[in-house]
Amino acid sequence: MEFYLISTLNGVIYGLLLFMVSAGLTLIFGMMGVLNFAHASFYMLGAYVAYAVSSAAGFWVGLLVAPAFVGIVGMLVERFLLRRVHAFGHAHELLLTFGLALIVEEAVKLVFGDFPVNYQMADTLRFAAFTVYGTDYPFYRVFMGIVAIVMFVALWLLLSRTRIGIVVRAAERLPQMAEALGHNIPVVFTSVFGAGAALAGLAGAVAGAFYPTNPNMALELGVIVFVVVVVGGLGSLQGSLLASLLIGLFSSFAVGIDWSAADLLALVGLGDWARTMGGLMTMQVSSISATIPFALMLLVLLVRPAGLMGERG
Amino acid sequence: MRHISLIALVVAGSLSAAPLAAKPLKIGIIESLSGAQTSTGRMFANGVHYGIDRINAAGGVNGEPVEVVEYDNAGGPTEAADKFRQAQADGINIIIQGASSAIAGQLTEDVRKHNIRNPGNEMMYINVGAEAMELTGEKCHFYHFRYTSTAPMRVNALISTMKEQGTLGTRVYSINQNYSWGQDMQAATAADTAMGDYEVVGEVLHDVNKIQDFAPFVAKIKAANPDTVITGNWSNDLLLLMKAAGDAGLKVRFATAFLDQPGNIANAGETALGHYIANAYDNSAADGSFADDYKAAEGHLPTFVEPQAAFAVGALQEALAKVSSEGGDVNVTKIAEALEDTTYESPVGPISVRKEDHQTIRPVVVSKVVKNAKYPADDTDMGFQMVKVVPGEEAIYPVQSSCEMKRPG
Repeated sequence: MEFYLISTLNGVIYGLLLFMVSAGLTLIFGMMGVLNFAHASFYMLGAYVAYAVSSAAGFWVGLLVAPAFVGIVGMLVERFLLRRVHAFGHAHELLLTFGLALIVEEAVKLVFGDFPVNYQMADTLRFAAFTVYGTDYPFYRVFMGIVAIVMFVALWLLLSRTRIGIVVRAAERLPQMAEALGHNIPVVFTSVFGAGAALAGLAGAVAGAFYPTNPNMALELGVIVFVVVVVGGLGSLQGSLLASLLIGLFSSFAVGIDWSAADLLALVGLGDWARTMGGLMTMQVSSISATIPFALMLLVLLVRPAGLMGERG
Repeated sequence: MRHISLIALVVAGSLSAAPLAAKPLKIGIIESLSGAQTSTGRMFANGVHYGIDRINAAGGVNGEPVEVVEYDNAGGPTEAADKFRQAQADGINIIIQGASSAIAGQLTEDVRKHNIRNPGNEMMYINVGAEAMELTGEKCHFYHFRYTSTAPMRVNALISTMKEQGTLGTRVYSINQNYSWGQDMQAATAADTAMGDYEVVGEVLHDVNKIQDFAPFVAKIKAANPDTVITGNWSNDLLLLMKAAGDAGLKVRFATAFLDQPGNIANAGETALGHYIANAYDNSAADGSFADDYKAAEGHLPTFVEPQAAFAVGALQEALAKVSSEGGDVNVTKIAEALEDTTYESPVGPISVRKEDHQTIRPVVVSKVVKNAKYPADDTDMGFQMVKVVPGEEAIYPVQSSCEMKRPG
């Protein structure tokens, strides 16, 4: 019972964190069709900006400034870089954002150094929310979960219930028609990209204080965020939430499982043979827990290529 | 006509001058200077530069300053192999690398093959930080020297010191990264149970630097109820593990190998207090003259892997002094033979080379994180305090039977 409860708790919170980072990516892809490789770099940038600001003006100010700053950077990137290559198709956008990711990584190292910086959460947030089976559960983890949920609800309401949402969706589906109706499509695209980047910046500012802020943080989350978006269905907000939670729970439970393929084969009397084989046969599930999201992605792509909640065609 | 004779004179002059000036010794640092491992690679390069500056300040080799070239291997063996070929073309005599065992595996093989194909024009590899056992096991060869400790040395030192201090306890948990280094640490932890009189209550290997959330692992450790957690984790994997343990209020003592990586102490905060580390050197274990000299040269106190890199070049300097007086071209085989016979007096004790496998026999410093340390880390009031310097003879392990070294000649 203890194992299930704690694993579920950890898995859900980690899943919500993944959602927090991938929400912006989903938004940008869903509304603009741009696969933004530099998304995790915006996340890292958010953490570093929050660190720089918070050491001068406090944690909460950092939390506000970081998304604003990263949002503006995002808008500039869209206006002056992406728009130029947009006409040449997706491959060019992909390459451009990939190059951008490399540049941001090295630039961060130049400015802030190679090592993790000391970005700390506000002391008022540093307490145990509750105790389960003798283990303190840090409030900050709960806080990250709340931020992610608020983010999801706000985005979902914005896109499905407001006029802004209608315009944005129209700009994605039928840009020429929307333009004919008097909407400024380039501005819509710039704003969407900026908003997506700002969400990543906020995620970075929140998560960077819990996980260390270091020059590799974009690299570490960059790939898994793509897995989330692919599993959830490219462009589907609900899909990314579902996929994030699934991946969080799978990774969390996998750690606690000491089974290997050999144990499975032992059920049919082949255990000793499998153990003498070694290699993959004796590898425990817990030691490959970080690989499970990728296996999940493979499975989803085979069975439902559009993703769990993606639209076909 | 005058011009031609002038040119002829210059040409003749330069031709006749050539044999007089000896070829300079060329050292190549093939290190992870971009990508995810920059933080480690840069530190190794710093230590090497410090050592080479000292060689040159003392007059260089054969009256020529040592030339040093940096190659960026971008953190991967493929790029490293590429950079090795470039170093070959540049006429590099000695290559130095330390940040990765995978890259070391590539480079040591490249050097071995180069030496088979180019007799009389050998290269040598001074490994300042790659700790995989195979490098002095099945992959060992005459031109590879390992100037760092390995998993059994670190674990032996940690266990014996913590046992003496009464801080080890009887229940030990082993959590490591799932590749050669982590597996070596796990094996070493399992091998010392009799010596340390403890029981391994759990062992886990996990993916390397891919895990953001260590909370599930902490839950698993807590379920096993250990006194001490021994881990070879480095970089984020160590920091996240310690932070997650601190956040969950887990009361265990960590025995580590890389806790001194810059940024760790500041990020972990009070959670780090009381945790142990076994490494090559700590400022609190020496009289401070090396620390002061290093600070004067490089602008900061020697930290993390910088000292071990500096000691390796220090040993090389002494070896070079034995051969350079003979003049003529650089003879790497002679340098290697001299290095074998060199015992370098580091600030924490002698470092000598074991001829059978070219592993260095060296002291291991065990320290622990305390408040109000003499040498604070990361601008905090915490830092490392030496607990014991375990002499090389005590920390060393037997030569691996897999090493079959073929000596030159």
